[in-house]
Amino acid sequence: MLRRNFLQRLGPLGATLAAAPGLVAFTNEPAAKRGPNPPYLKTGDYIGITCPAGTIDQKEARYAEVMLGRWGFKTKLGNTIGKNWNHFAGTDEERAADFQQLLDDPIVKAIIFGRGGYGTMRMMDKVNWEGFKKNPKWLVGYSDITAFHCHINRNFGIPTIHARMAGGFGTIEDESEISLRDTLSGKPQVYRWGRDILNREGLGEGILVGGNLSLIYAMQAGPSELDTTGKILFIEDVSEYKYTVDRMMMNLKRSGKLSKLAGLIVGGFTATKEDGEGYFTISMNEIIFEKVKEYGYPVAFGFPAGHQRPNLALKFGMQFQFNVSKEDCVLAEPSGLNPMMPVSFGHDTITAPIDSLPFPL
Amino acid sequence: MIQVPPYLRKGDIIGLVCPAGFMAKEKTDACAEILGKWGFKVITGKSVGNQFHYFSGTDEERLADLQQMLDNPEIKAILCARGGYGTSRIIDDINWKAFNKNPKWVIGYSDITVLHCHLFQKLRMASVHAPMAGAFADGEDEFVLSLKKALTGKVLSYSIESHPFNRTGNAIGPLLGGNLSLLAHLTGTPSMPSLKGAILFIEDVGEYLYNIDRMLLQLDRAGKLKSLAGMIIGGFTDNKDTITPIGKTAYELIADRISGYPFPVAFNFPVSHDKNNFALRAGMNHSLKVGNSRVSLTGKP
Repeated sequence: MLRRNFLQRLGPLGATLAAAPGLVAFTNEPAAKRGPNPPYLKTGDYIGITCPAGTIDQKEARYAEVMLGRWGFKTKLGNTIGKNWNHFAGTDEERAADFQQLLDDPIVKAIIFGRGGYGTMRMMDKVNWEGFKKNPKWLVGYSDITAFHCHINRNFGIPTIHARMAGGFGTIEDESEISLRDTLSGKPQVYRWGRDILNREGLGEGILVGGNLSLIYAMQAGPSELDTTGKILFIEDVSEYKYTVDRMMMNLKRSGKLSKLAGLIVGGFTATKEDGEGYFTISMNEIIFEKVKEYGYPVAFGFPAGHQRPNLALKFGMQFQFNVSKEDCVLAEPSGLNPMMPVSFGHDTITAPIDSLPFPL
Repeated sequence: MIQVPPYLRKGDIIGLVCPAGFMAKEKTDACAEILGKWGFKVITGKSVGNQFHYFSGTDEERLADLQQMLDNPEIKAILCARGGYGTSRIIDDINWKAFNKNPKWVIGYSDITVLHCHLFQKLRMASVHAPMAGAFADGEDEFVLSLKKALTGKVLSYSIESHPFNRTGNAIGPLLGGNLSLLAHLTGTPSMPSLKGAILFIEDVGEYLYNIDRMLLQLDRAGKLKSLAGMIIGGFTDNKDTITPIGKTAYELIADRISGYPFPVAFNFPVSHDKNNFALRAGMNHSLKVGNSRVSLTGKP
């Protein structure tokens, strides 16, 4: 189902969405802080790799260099590659300094983080963002990197990319990497995925925000707290107990983060831990839906992003249209849905025959 | 000003409820027996022994049981038999009207941190952070007995040995806190106190070390640590670590996290998920003295 959808073009649905903006549930909230878009990348541009949390080794960095090289980009490796300080790729100061250097280097047009783990939040407040605010560049990562996504969206309104990181590239390009390549190159994102029994139908439009639920939660009430009003919220998580997810969702609900969304997109909730007491029997999707059931916005489960394959790239901080219907779900940048143009669809550019991909779709 | 519910006298009724995780009724027997021995009558709510999956009933059932205990003027204290998870799922639906008119002691810890914080923040009401029903199984040790003192209006005065990580000094302020995971869970919600000028105590069980660091960092970034009068670090028991170890103990992580602040700090205080868990009157003013060799915490009725 998913495979067929990925290879389909949007066709009439895209045209309907674009031609009938009156159907879209615009919110009346004032536009959130909106910074400049980072420029998309051109062949020959430099991409920096640094580790603000856990580390990657030289071999993993080499794989990333090779892949980015195939895409036509040069790489600049930070000095946190291969560095180890306990759980982290260096002390908080070292990781902040390495990131700062790539952030301020005018040659570097994007930064792909090495991996998540834990630690971004520990070094984040040591970063000077002044240069980045004037000359933004794409920052790419997920999981622990959600701390950056939230902080940047909340404080600067500059778009960022939620996608697979350098440590996860390996030797094989799959849809995850290809969606990142296309995103970095400026191809509008248009995604379509299958329905879920718990989905709530509807149309929404708003700025896409979110990331890892544990990190969104960890930003609560602080200077990086996500403003979700009028936004499409994406969440995913890994290796959590169900009761912990329930508890985190209750926190978002009780702090008003779920009442004024333009839409909710649920990605992978993977490797869920068995509750020690064994009685939390409702499903993860039910736990999540329960927290938003009283609201009216569209809700879609099963977006292929998170700690899983594929982990498709999402542009946070940018405007998206979101449609959940009986048949399927579509998340698209408005520029990707121009009815006068042939509908561009990120996944028809896959270079390998899809049957040769080393993972089940 | 903090409202202090009337202290208990012989013959007063204590209600037992389970607002969160389920608990078999027979596991509350020892608790009911000892409370009876202390001269109190015990009423056991329907939520005790009831089960709905993980919880001691549906949200509606747990809410109704807690609500009738709060509303019944005959009941002078409510002892939450166990924590687990689930109090925050019902807290916004509780009607505090009758309780506010006729305050009573709410007792518990762990998930019950939600009630302690909410009572302080929304109702300025004192409550008791103390051992729950399970702790009574081994009889009347000093920790279980400390609950009797707390409920009957005795001065609570605890004195322990200093810990090498302590920061000396004196503090006076309302004593607030509880389980770190629940404090993080309340951050950003209407139940979370500002903690300005408070003596904050924290404890936790079964958490990953990185998560202990992250939760404390969350509280710090939310401005909850910078204006504390003092801090008490209880037990962090059964900690878990990641495959690549974080390389520090829970106490080292906590000490690092608060190293920039001037307030006095006492580590290894007997408040925890372990046996060592003294009763504390949350929300009431306490005096914390952290000296070179001894630490004392005193709360007058």
